[in-house]
Amino acid sequence: MADWDEICEALADYTISCNENVRLRKMQRDWSRMLHFICSDTGVTFSMDVDKGEIMSTLEGLVGLPDIVVSTTSETFCDMFWGDLNPVQKYLRGEITVKGSQEDVMRLDAISYVIWPES
Amino acid sequence: MSDQDEQVPTITLRRSVGTATATATSAGLAFAAIDYLGVVSILAYAPGATAAFAIFIGGIVVILVSAIFSELNGLYPTAAGIRLYLGRAVGNRTALSVTFTYMTTVVLVIAADAFLIGAAVRHVLNEPSVLAYVWIVVLLGIALAANLKGVRLAGWVQTIVTYTVLTGTSILSIIALFHVGGAFNHPVDLFGKGTFSGIQAVAFALFLYAAFEWVTTTAEEARTPRVITRALFVAPLLIWIVASLFALALSHLVSYSTLHGSAYPQLLLGRAALGTVGEIWMLSLTVLTALNTFNGGFLVASRFIYAAAREGNLPRQFARLNLNAVPWLAVTTLTVVSAVVAAVVFATGQWLLLVSVGAAIECGIYAIGSVCLLRLRSRVDRKRPFKLIAGQPLAIFGAILFSVLFVATAFADPKDSRHFSIAPFTVIAVLGALSTTYVLLVVPKLQRAAAARTAATRPRRRPTRATLDDINTILPAAEASD
Repeated sequence: MADWDEICEALADYTISCNENVRLRKMQRDWSRMLHFICSDTGVTFSMDVDKGEIMSTLEGLVGLPDIVVSTTSETFCDMFWGDLNPVQKYLRGEITVKGSQEDVMRLDAISYVIWPES
Repeated sequence: MSDQDEQVPTITLRRSVGTATATATSAGLAFAAIDYLGVVSILAYAPGATAAFAIFIGGIVVILVSAIFSELNGLYPTAAGIRLYLGRAVGNRTALSVTFTYMTTVVLVIAADAFLIGAAVRHVLNEPSVLAYVWIVVLLGIALAANLKGVRLAGWVQTIVTYTVLTGTSILSIIALFHVGGAFNHPVDLFGKGTFSGIQAVAFALFLYAAFEWVTTTAEEARTPRVITRALFVAPLLIWIVASLFALALSHLVSYSTLHGSAYPQLLLGRAALGTVGEIWMLSLTVLTALNTFNGGFLVASRFIYAAAREGNLPRQFARLNLNAVPWLAVTTLTVVSAVVAAVVFATGQWLLLVSVGAAIECGIYAIGSVCLLRLRSRVDRKRPFKLIAGQPLAIFGAILFSVLFVATAFADPKDSRHFSIAPFTVIAVLGALSTTYVLLVVPKLQRAAAARTAATRPRRRPTRATLDDINTILPAAEASD
């Protein structure tokens, strides 16, 4: 199980990778969403505010009304934010569950795909 | 059937799908232009009012499908839908083979709709028949451009379009029925056209409801799990009403010999009921169905291709995204394949074959869904938001029933009840064999290549953290070395 510090470390790297990727920012220019994340094993929750493709903030706890809710284990979250796993594989096996529109689910995966095409 | 909705925690989303939208999505996915032709296929086996009776029995059978998919959806409420149920029930390879075959029905429906709308527009404009293909290319071109631009129908537009098509078809059918009055000249006789004609008529009737279960792919955006369950039960009811009215009106106002060779029975009914106004009325509704088919069909199929490519089951080029976050190669390939299939249909005139193939594949999927329910009942012990009472015996019954209906349509000649045809089965067998060969021979190679590429180019990024176990392992070794 990954603790909150590990998740924060992964999120920090993920945020830099996202916000500094020019192609991704252009692709997600019309994508403003509030994301909620729930660690199914530890109960840790956190929220990510994305505005026009830019990650504006990541806060502990569930903040505001979400557009997407992602649930999985804390380990999977860490690996996902470090780009060490392919989220689609986990999703299709039912190990990552998502609430949100199909379009948003694809956009979320597109972030990982654009940053780490080999993941 | 029992409902245990309150046991499942609900997550409130800023934008979520309610019952009306989910029902419209379900009915819209099912009610495509090819359904008008589906009614003609039923009439070949069940003339006159018997067609409406076959549609009614088909509706009763569909209730079982609704219940099975409600339980499966409650168990795995995900866009991956049948891919996941199958994967858990019978293994990943079988799941992939079946899903690839299933997805070909999307291409068939897109191609069929493009062809039927092209033929209908050409007919109304009195153009030479060759121009129908120009209309097909124009329609698919518009759909391609809109998809590549990332244009999607908003939920409320989709809802309005669906209810307009259903209401418009019903109203015209009722007007047409006023022309008939009480002169229903065929008695209800389900087996009047041969020993198996009743079974085949019901199997073709199932085609009218086909694809309504795809609403399960929107489970992740549904307000509560109950929304999808409601849609799965209400949408077939709407389709039953509309299709029955249309079948009754068509069979009593237009002769079967006229319908037999026509790709636009709805226009013939429109003209018979209200002249030119009726013809344009039905043409408008036919064009509207394209919005749902092209929007829903392209979206479902292209996202499936994207996910399959990301998973390593299709060449990774299919996951490439354009600047509108659209998997452009997947969308373009779908359009090209649909255009080719439409051209083949146009050249051969075998549009009713698509009805047989689609009906058979759907019956096959319903049989497989029943098997999934049966196996997941014994394998997964988890609370379900919806649980089918007597699920196991009903799932066994469903597996047998839908297998029989699969055979009934796979060997049926959709134009003539006196003949059997191996053409639908041949098409399905070829599609199934291609999918299975691909999954067994190509997918393992793709996955090995992807794993090798990742290992060679991308070391693990996440920093390793020492755990207490690591430290305890290191400490004695360190002491010993001192």
